[in-house]
Amino acid sequence: MPSPQTPPRGGSAVDPTAVRPDIDDAVIIRVEPAQLRGRLEQLKAEGASMLLDIGGVDYLERTPRFDVVYHLLKLPTRVASVDSVATPMRIRVLCGLDDGQTLPTMSDLWPSADWPEREIYDLFGITFDGHPDLRRIQMPVDWEGYPLRKDYPLRGPALERTPRPDFALKSNLLAGTPASGKTAAALAKQIAKIRGQAE
Amino acid sequence: MTTTPAPLDVVKLGENKMLLSLGPQHPSTHGVLQVLTEIEGETITKADPEIGYLHTGIEKSAENLFWHQASTVIERMDYLSPLTNAMCYVLGVEKLLGITDHIPERAQQLRVLLCELSRIASHCVWLGTGGIDLGAISPFFYAFDLRENILDLFEASGGARMHPNYLRIGGLREDVPQGFLDRLDDLIKKFPGRMRELRGVLQKNPIVQDRMIDVAILSADEAVAWNLTGPSLRGSGIAYDVRKAFPYSGYEKYDFEVPTRDEGDAYARFLVRLDEMDQSMAIIRQVREKLVRGAVMIDDTKVGPPPKEAIALSMEALIHHFKYVSEGFRVPPGDVYQAVEGPRGELGYYIVSNGENRPWRIRTRPPSFYNLQVLKKLAIGELIADMVVCIGSLDPVFGEVDR
Repeated sequence: MPSPQTPPRGGSAVDPTAVRPDIDDAVIIRVEPAQLRGRLEQLKAEGASMLLDIGGVDYLERTPRFDVVYHLLKLPTRVASVDSVATPMRIRVLCGLDDGQTLPTMSDLWPSADWPEREIYDLFGITFDGHPDLRRIQMPVDWEGYPLRKDYPLRGPALERTPRPDFALKSNLLAGTPASGKTAAALAKQIAKIRGQAE
Repeated sequence: MTTTPAPLDVVKLGENKMLLSLGPQHPSTHGVLQVLTEIEGETITKADPEIGYLHTGIEKSAENLFWHQASTVIERMDYLSPLTNAMCYVLGVEKLLGITDHIPERAQQLRVLLCELSRIASHCVWLGTGGIDLGAISPFFYAFDLRENILDLFEASGGARMHPNYLRIGGLREDVPQGFLDRLDDLIKKFPGRMRELRGVLQKNPIVQDRMIDVAILSADEAVAWNLTGPSLRGSGIAYDVRKAFPYSGYEKYDFEVPTRDEGDAYARFLVRLDEMDQSMAIIRQVREKLVRGAVMIDDTKVGPPPKEAIALSMEALIHHFKYVSEGFRVPPGDVYQAVEGPRGELGYYIVSNGENRPWRIRTRPPSFYNLQVLKKLAIGELIADMVVCIGSLDPVFGEVDR
């Protein structure tokens, strides 16, 4: 069960996708949820035969909150030599959506979309309309919450009871925030104590 | 809260038809896989793999570690070839950092060398356990003996046999020790003989041929539609190999072939993997010949920690070391998809950075996850006894499927 521990703070309001033209790893296309189905159908008709992967990203403070990322590969079928495969084109389709919005399933276009869509449903809580068998895949069926969301805690209740000094919980601080000066204060106190004894 | 009743081992569905739960503790499932199988007589009519028994939240853990720490958990995904996972991750982060062109030549060569060694080691496990699935116990010892030699090399280079965490962002942790290359030469020398033994006990074995030929057939179109990669795709006749299509770490400099077979059955996938082991050794031989001398870590103390010797002598080195350990380094914002050819297929990482010292998101494209998914299609119409051949020929690793 998810613990009531406060989730890690700090979010990203920026969108780091498609800001690095120097990394030329794929053709990047951003679509709205309503256009997604049509666009992917069109790409498949143009020869994107493989839906390599579907992944989810939670940007927490951004609107829309989630990105669902489709990695496509234009791989020709019926080829037996390395030369005829050459360098197939990679296409990355990003689709932003908010909590509560749904996406159409791709499992009828590419049968391989079945499991990754179930995984995104399981770990992010994004629903795919028309999926034949949308249920949890990694977590137990009676699990509550969506573990890969950024507001889901990293540690469970068992560890929460273990007293830990503040600096050990750096992972719960906003990345880049300096540690709370408690460690330094404790150290200064110790030094003062030792000096006091010496005098 | 909903609960589903635990599946019984065997449920009778009607005349001649029953539901059989294979696993999750079945030795031939190569991990913790449960396959809910509907059989009519002895023929499989429906197979539904249930995964997730090994889910450890590696992607979530990696988001909460520094960039250079994340590779330790990432190596645990595909525990049979940890170096391939680390390779893919460090290449992706190096692209985000924009330092891909500054990685020393020797580091790139040693990375290729170690990745090919881990491919052979991984195929050895598949060969050994695949043989056991079919009732052949002896090949297991031949295969694990060969793997043992490779694990010794990993131990010499990184200090650990299974998860050396030897590849670092910017290069390698340190150079290979004295005597490493001599041991590698020994391995190169005895490898052809070992392969002859393995091929002798398995490839020409009539029992193996009976069990594998014309079992679990997958056409090229089906393999593409079901998103298969690696030996499972090449066994269906498509010569897609990330090392050739999107060369990384200098693979374009080595001369090797991509073995393919047109039959698409379990035996074809078996032969492709055997041929791949020979090709991997060909690459290793070329790397050994071309291996240059020099540094193995990028000359940028923001990304890579300074050498240990420098810390005692230089104040700056000490400061850089302290910053590296306590705070890590920041990676410019951006997203990247990096893929490498793992022993099981295209292993990819979609890495998103928001400019902080921790990755914002690391999404894995696990080849085993997709290769295993095809079992729903592959097993239908096969005999229940051939289920182990279907699973074995796809070579899933559950650390990677469940992550």
